[in-house]
Amino acid sequence: MSGAAALHQVQMEPKEYKSEVSVVWCPGCGHHGILNGLYRALAEAGIDPTKLVNISGIGCSSRTPYFIKSYKMHTLHGRAGAVATGVQMARPDLAVVVTGGDGDGFAIGGGHMPHMARKNVNMTYVLFDNGIYGLTKGQYSPTSRPEMKGYTTPYGGPEDPMNPLMYMLTYGATYVAQAFAGKPKLCAELIKGALEHKGFAYVNIFSQCPSFNYLDTVEFYRDLVFEIPADHDPTDMTKAIALARRPNGKAPIGLLYTENKPTLDERVAEFVTRVGGGPDYDINKIINLSRP
Amino acid sequence: MAKKDLILRLGGEGGEGVISTGDFITSACAKAGLEVYTFKTFPAEVKGGYAMYQVRTSPDRIYNQGDTFDVLCAFNGEAFEVNKHLLKPGTAVVYDYPGGDFEPGELPEGVFGYAIPMTKTAKDMKSLRSKNMVALGALSAIFNISEESLKKVLTKKFQKKGEEILNFNLAAFDKGKELGLQHQKTDPWRVADPQGEKDVIIISGNEAVGMGALLGGLEFFAAYPITPATEVAKYVATHIPKLGGTLFQAEDEIASISMVVGGSYAGKRSMTSTSGPGLSLMSEMLGMASMSETPVMVVDVQRGGPATGLPTKHEQSDLFLAIHGTHGDAPRVVLSVEDVKDCIDMAVDALNIADELQVPVILLSDGSLAFSTQTVPAPKPENYTIVRRKEWDGQGTYQRYAMTEDLVSPMCAPGTPNGMHMATGLEHSESGAPKYSPDNHEMMQRKRFGKIKNVVNTYKPTEIDGEGEADLGIIAWGSTIGVVREAIGRLREEGYKVKGFYPKLMWPMPTEQYEAFAKTCKKILLPEVNFQGQLAHFVRAETTIRPISYTICGGFPFNPVQIVAKAKEVI
Ligand SMILES: Cc1ncc(C[n+]2csc(CCOP(=O)(O)OP(=O)(O)O)c2C)c(N)n1
Ligand SMILES: [Mg+2]
Repeated sequence: MSGAAALHQVQMEPKEYKSEVSVVWCPGCGHHGILNGLYRALAEAGIDPTKLVNISGIGCSSRTPYFIKSYKMHTLHGRAGAVATGVQMARPDLAVVVTGGDGDGFAIGGGHMPHMARKNVNMTYVLFDNGIYGLTKGQYSPTSRPEMKGYTTPYGGPEDPMNPLMYMLTYGATYVAQAFAGKPKLCAELIKGALEHKGFAYVNIFSQCPSFNYLDTVEFYRDLVFEIPADHDPTDMTKAIALARRPNGKAPIGLLYTENKPTLDERVAEFVTRVGGGPDYDINKIINLSRP
Repeated sequence: MAKKDLILRLGGEGGEGVISTGDFITSACAKAGLEVYTFKTFPAEVKGGYAMYQVRTSPDRIYNQGDTFDVLCAFNGEAFEVNKHLLKPGTAVVYDYPGGDFEPGELPEGVFGYAIPMTKTAKDMKSLRSKNMVALGALSAIFNISEESLKKVLTKKFQKKGEEILNFNLAAFDKGKELGLQHQKTDPWRVADPQGEKDVIIISGNEAVGMGALLGGLEFFAAYPITPATEVAKYVATHIPKLGGTLFQAEDEIASISMVVGGSYAGKRSMTSTSGPGLSLMSEMLGMASMSETPVMVVDVQRGGPATGLPTKHEQSDLFLAIHGTHGDAPRVVLSVEDVKDCIDMAVDALNIADELQVPVILLSDGSLAFSTQTVPAPKPENYTIVRRKEWDGQGTYQRYAMTEDLVSPMCAPGTPNGMHMATGLEHSESGAPKYSPDNHEMMQRKRFGKIKNVVNTYKPTEIDGEGEADLGIIAWGSTIGVVREAIGRLREEGYKVKGFYPKLMWPMPTEQYEAFAKTCKKILLPEVNFQGQLAHFVRAETTIRPISYTICGGFPFNPVQIVAKAKEVI
């Protein structure tokens, strides 16, 4: 996230971050839990809703901004991160949050992910990982297991799933965490950390899709996850990678990695200082450079 | 009419100093108060390959690159061979001989030849890099290119590198001058005498778009490189930090247009630049910008296509894409520039219209303008009006897509108290809430299309060249306009009744203006540099005019002679 101007500005209850639009997700969908975690995180981080911009692409998860009191933009499938980068770079004073799905972020939007991470764009990316395309009614996604028979994979998937945590660590995200929708308190804690982090913060959240993903049930996720031990040093990349690789086939939840380094907007703002730029600069000086 | 202009073509291997020699001559002529219009072609290769730089200069206004050259300067055998067929009686050629890489043999009849041992002289001075200075000195002596202006230009350029380097280059220049003076001048070609310094700048089309954008209050630019558009971003990248603005590079054009949409939503005046392949990638987000009513400006410097096509060559073939390239029904405004001056002025217009109407505006330029440098009156910042988006006044409940009289809804940037709202690509009500009812979609489509309708009345009227009735009317767009202007002048001198119509607002089409023009002409000719006759297609679709479509697409712009010949054929 960003903008000190947006952080710890207000004292609001989680429910005060709810918009007047009613939530449209199916009963039992993990996205409800993540949304509750989000409300709590926003309240705990004291985010001023007026300075909050929530951007999404397309998908069930991408409906999230409708339910949150904030400025918001509902964009195109896969483009939320790039639009959010534009918002953040244009207005570093704002808090910028992307909410979206595994298909949105890693399939169609996969071209943008490495660059947001690598450039350390100062924002929070919450990825609702349900291992399925929910909105389009159950197709295989980049995080689906090959066993899964989906709408367009009647014989199961011919590919292995990606590992979002490995991906983000490798590309240089400066805050990498994972949670499970069944644990909204942990969701809230990790999203709050992401909001307070200066730089690109990625939170992967497992979310059951009872309507279309019959494999990755709540029970499956409960079995799959383990809490990262309290003695884990989140500044140690090697240990973070070891966790991300799922020791003994179990998925870690908690904060894997965090690092402090300059953000893209800080580095670009430096150019202005370097050339002595500002609102009083005389544009005629630029024009005169083109005289013969 | 006596020919007052001179067209000098320099040809040689890319990297051999052909381009810098051309730049020196261009600057010197501009410094001497002459008009200049240059035309360049680059090899697609990074190093080597044939490069060409043509300078047309005159005391009078110049509208295009001309038909062909009067004087050729061949830096090597390839340049000589490539241009040999254009060595017509009366032309002059300066070539590297003896000691160069070729034997020219006997020159075609009636061609004036000047052998200058460029390579040999440079070698004798123990620096091959001074070859172009030798050529420059010779050209100056033979063709009356103001030595005083040239030396000023060289001094400005080389002084930064130290006295020694400057003096060395000036010495090579003087050697070349001596070699030039050893020849008896037999041809009639000379650059017009200096006119006294004028209040001008000399700038390429791409740089001019960047300058215009800065004059137009640009604050935010996301870029992805592509020939022939990259210099727009280069220019803005160099100067926008001075004005406190932001430019950074995106990972692709889908990202650059998305970032610009985000920047604009966040309240900044935003643009990006690209060429056809990049514009294709942007098409989905352009539809989103239409739907969410987000102001964005995109410059498309057109090149040969399709796909990688002729990447460094000229074409005007993105009109279909610019006007209709997206999903569903989505309005946008498309402008097209004629020359370098337009690149400055219309970049401001494009930013203004985008903000005023909250639509994507595409500004079309093309490959030949991209690198063409032209003399332009130095722009005066105070002469440009900056129109900003309608802002919410803070009264009542904010409705992002409120129905208003002019169908443009006030905007409200993040951070504004009580203005929180959803900007969305989903069909919505006035508040921005999802609403898919048939009535609502129709009403919103009418709003989005309705708000841009009036541009045809508010934008500057299409220029008509000529008065009264004519046997032939020529409609031209983009850099073809300048060629048509000159062709029409020549046709008139020969007694033909011809008129021109030069649209700059391509979409929405000012159809009444087209119709009114066509009523005064017996026939309409429409030359354009693309295979399908793209503007002719829109003219047929949107008006009752049935133009004679004349298309070429060899990677080069039209020459005035081609238009003159075609006009005579169809008249
Ligand atoms: C360009 C484009 N291609 C395809 C779609 C169709 N589409 C909409 S949402 C979606 C998948 C959403 O899956 P995910 O991002 O995982 O979100 P979820 O619904 O699971 O939360 C697809 C394929 C689209 N809207 N746009
Ligand atoms: Mg999903």
